[in-house]
Amino acid sequence: MRTLLVWMAGSLGLALGVPLAMANGWNMPVGVTDVSREIHSLHMTIFWICVIIGVVVFGVMFYSLFRFRRSKGAKSAHFHENTTVEVIWTAVPLLILVGMAVPATATLKKMYDASDAELDVMIIGQQWRWRYEYLGEDVAFTSNLGTPRDQIRGAEARGEHYLLEVDEPLVLPINRKVRFLMTSDDVIHSWWVPELAVKQDTIPGFVNENWVRINEPGIYRGQCAELCGMDHGFMPVVVHAMEEEDFDAWLAERKEAAEQEAMGVDREWELAELMERGEGVYGSICASCHQAEGQGSPPAFPALAGNQRLIDDLEWHLDTVINGVSGTAMPAFRSTLNPVEIAAVVTWTRNAWGNDTGEAVQPADVAERLAQ
Amino acid sequence: MWSVVKSVLAAFFGVQREERRREDFEKGRPGAFILVGIVMALLLVGVVALVAIQAAR
Ligand SMILES: [Cu+2]
Repeated sequence: MRTLLVWMAGSLGLALGVPLAMANGWNMPVGVTDVSREIHSLHMTIFWICVIIGVVVFGVMFYSLFRFRRSKGAKSAHFHENTTVEVIWTAVPLLILVGMAVPATATLKKMYDASDAELDVMIIGQQWRWRYEYLGEDVAFTSNLGTPRDQIRGAEARGEHYLLEVDEPLVLPINRKVRFLMTSDDVIHSWWVPELAVKQDTIPGFVNENWVRINEPGIYRGQCAELCGMDHGFMPVVVHAMEEEDFDAWLAERKEAAEQEAMGVDREWELAELMERGEGVYGSICASCHQAEGQGSPPAFPALAGNQRLIDDLEWHLDTVINGVSGTAMPAFRSTLNPVEIAAVVTWTRNAWGNDTGEAVQPADVAERLAQ
Repeated sequence: MWSVVKSVLAAFFGVQREERRREDFEKGRPGAFILVGIVMALLLVGVVALVAIQAAR
């Protein structure tokens, strides 16, 4: 009897200890949307149902093993069937499963209802960054990994949000229904933010829908959740949820900046100006493959420093950046970068690391090429 | 015929009495079980579809 009590206490301790451990940072987050709260409470309900079933089933099993053991002279019974018992043990799980399916389906229906959104954001997965386009607002940008490369290489201590920080987060308003239209430019990625209870595959050639209505302002972090190549771990998601008026102000500011940028296309740019801009673009877009010093990592990612074809042939260089190279990892940047950024980054790569061509590529010329 | 339907229902549920099983194997015709099985499978699909359409509204 003693041993039995120890067994029972042990299994009960396990059954209670597991959820306690989970509540302490191991469980899924409650999140900051109504849907995420619902998902969390569903998860906990089903978890407890499983705990109760586990305790009952294993309790009966361990009790029977102990109480009717052979050393106490127990004899096994020989009978073939018992229809009543069989019906009960088929019907009870059926009822439990249907009982769990009803609330789960109700939540799923809510998750899939992306109608009546107040803001549409296109989310595009790219190797290896996210691009966000505020549809109908002329605001679009790519969100690149913000962790310094020295931290990744181990030359520097890791920061608080190591690999979970970006140069520009996705900014969203609270209390408004935001619809996500999600796709990919290359391979399958998955846009995942646990606090928003959104994990949606982005698939080239398809547009998936999802939505959020965030209740609390804050910064919510996530990651790409579908293995997508070399830098899969280096394309985090950061969402900055703002009060509505702050968001409106931010959007207006971004619109204005986009207009300014569009105007910048027409004027003549100095070499130094282009170089400064180009270095930034290179660092966030190109350096993950072609490396910080332009040395590349052959054979997949050719070196740019001292690349004779690049130095000799401006036409080819521009065409490669604008249209990509099919059959290789080099994507087309015609829709990801604007004319100023393309001109700047081409100018930078033609003059950095001893490539000293002295050539400044004008944004206006790039714009003309893009229009062709 | 009714006993065939009952046996097919029991098979759907997954529980059958031993006497009935023996009876089915001694007296039943395979064609009848196959036909009733197909018809009732289609009925089950119809019922599930109806429930799903109701739930989706
Ligand atoms: Cu990815």
